[in-house]
Amino acid sequence: MDKEKVKKIVLDIIAEIAPDEDLTDVKSEIRLRDQLDLDSMDFLDIVMELRKQHGIEVPEAEYRQLESLDSSAEYLFPKFEAKAVA
Amino acid sequence: MPEARRTSEALDGHHFEVVVIGAGMAGLASALRLAMFGKSVLLLEKHYVVGGLNSFFARGGRKFDVGLHAVTNFPPNGSAKVSPLIRLCRQLRIPFEELALSPQSFSRVAFPDVDLRFDNEFSFFLSEVERLFPREQDRFQKLLRTMEAFDAYSPEVAGDVSARSILGEHLQEPLLIEILLCPTCYYGSAVENDIDFASFVMLFDAIFRQGLARPLDGIRRFLDPILKRYEELGGKRRMNLGVKRIFTKNDKVERLELDNGESIFADHVISTCGVVETEQMLSSASADVKTDDIGRISILESIAVFKEQPADFGWEETIVFYNDADFFRYERPYELTDPRSGVICIPNNYRYPEGEQMPEGQLRVTCLANYDKWVALDENNYRLQKEICRKAMLDVALGYLPNGKSIGKDLEERTELLDIFSPRTITKFTGHLDGALYGSPRKSRDGSTPFGNLYLAGADQGYVGIVGAMLGGVAIANNRILRGD
Ligand SMILES: Cc1cc2nc3c(=O)[nH]c(=O)nc-3n(C[C@H](O)[C@H](O)[C@H](O)COP(=O)(O)OP(=O)(O)OC[C@H]3O[C@@H](n4cnc5c(N)ncnc54)[C@H](O)[C@@H]3O)c2cc1C
Repeated sequence: MDKEKVKKIVLDIIAEIAPDEDLTDVKSEIRLRDQLDLDSMDFLDIVMELRKQHGIEVPEAEYRQLESLDSSAEYLFPKFEAKAVA
Repeated sequence: MPEARRTSEALDGHHFEVVVIGAGMAGLASALRLAMFGKSVLLLEKHYVVGGLNSFFARGGRKFDVGLHAVTNFPPNGSAKVSPLIRLCRQLRIPFEELALSPQSFSRVAFPDVDLRFDNEFSFFLSEVERLFPREQDRFQKLLRTMEAFDAYSPEVAGDVSARSILGEHLQEPLLIEILLCPTCYYGSAVENDIDFASFVMLFDAIFRQGLARPLDGIRRFLDPILKRYEELGGKRRMNLGVKRIFTKNDKVERLELDNGESIFADHVISTCGVVETEQMLSSASADVKTDDIGRISILESIAVFKEQPADFGWEETIVFYNDADFFRYERPYELTDPRSGVICIPNNYRYPEGEQMPEGQLRVTCLANYDKWVALDENNYRLQKEICRKAMLDVALGYLPNGKSIGKDLEERTELLDIFSPRTITKFTGHLDGALYGSPRKSRDGSTPFGNLYLAGADQGYVGIVGAMLGGVAIANNRILRGD
């Protein structure tokens, strides 16, 4: 697992919940909201899918960490690592 | 499949994470949303079909939708994503294309001296307002800005601000105010002669800023994919089985008693049957209901089926909201029905794909009706009055269609089938007290009740219509159950 993989996981989830979005040019450092049409319901879905598909928990107070792909990778990577070890 | 349903196992003593009461649009949407994330869900419906006010029935070998005139919120060209309907599809993971929606031709709001047209291009609606009310331009623009700045979907939004008064603060021509209120009230006001501003903004956007559409096969296009997904995900559903009583203890629901005497347990209960209807089921319910809380708006709807396509008569429009006076009365009439105002729907006049069309013409007319007067009738009189009121309604409505009066003369003979739907029918099929179309004037936006694990979804959240009720159901599932996990 590396941070690029984490980004891919997040992007795949977005592709699943928002199939009408064009994800070919998503910039890692820019807020997802600023380049895609995602609202708080969609972010809830990203969190729910992370739990469902990967057993990763994101408490509500920390949803903000998923703002961009970069910040998601920083925030989620240790969680994926911890999972892999466990 | 029918086999599985008939031999349904006993529920007595079972526990579910969530029980959803009512398989109308709100109940279906919330049940699916919860099943998507692995909740154990039981959906209970006392009727034998799903859909609630939006179900379907067969008559004379034909299939009819109960409550589908128009699916609102059809995303306009080029700005698809702003529509709540797209949000809804995303939340339920149903591809928008699967709904097979066809847009309206055009529709009208017809008052004595004003005939405003609109279609799914908002700019056309704006040009019509400008054409008919040139002096209101600046003020109307200011109203639009006020509406844009208002987050009508927020769970915290105040539900008791009068749209009539806000319109009055912005506009000077009373007729424009009435013309804006007429379609929005008909499509979702639970209060008389007004609509709360949040609902007004939602419905204005749903009808004018976005638009109207319909699937050629009707409401089943919505119901089928939801049920299919729900079942694939292992969601449980029981038809012909209602909740009779909700037993509470220490501010929480402890147990539900079903119509067949069984008892079940749930961590969370979502009720879509209405605020007063739900309160009446509580074990702690007091005998007296505040009558102010029971909705007074009910309707009579007639459907006429004929061989010709309506366009052959020169009827090209999809929906007509009509009113025979400068003031729009949206209230429980003194008589059985008030034919002076209503809504015409011609479901043939959506732009279906090339070569596809409904096989027969349909004309649907809806007027406001008085529930008390309709229930007071004995069976014979009920049948007689349905016929009398239908004729009176049609007579006025035809006056709003091109050459309607003359074509109407022999429409009766051409008619292959008639059906009529009264306030009594609404109560019979949905349990809504007083046949209230849009529920109680008392709304609970965030779905909360005095009981920590009991929430209201659908009409009495102030989310109405097909798209609205479903969004409401999704919001309750998200905010009350999934988020807090
Ligand atoms: C004639 C007509 C035309 C309409 N036209 C349109 C339109 O063109 N466009 C539009 O968007 N909207 C339209 N509507 C409005 C729309 O149908 C409603 O706003 C929406 O369907 C409400 O959904 P709901 O889930 O909140 O409630 P409901 O549909 O009322 O669902 C409640 C469900 O709960 C069930 N229930 C009640 N009590 C119990 C119990 N104790 N146990 C178990 N189950 C119970 C009922 O049987 C029902 O199925 C129309 C309505 C009517 C009647």
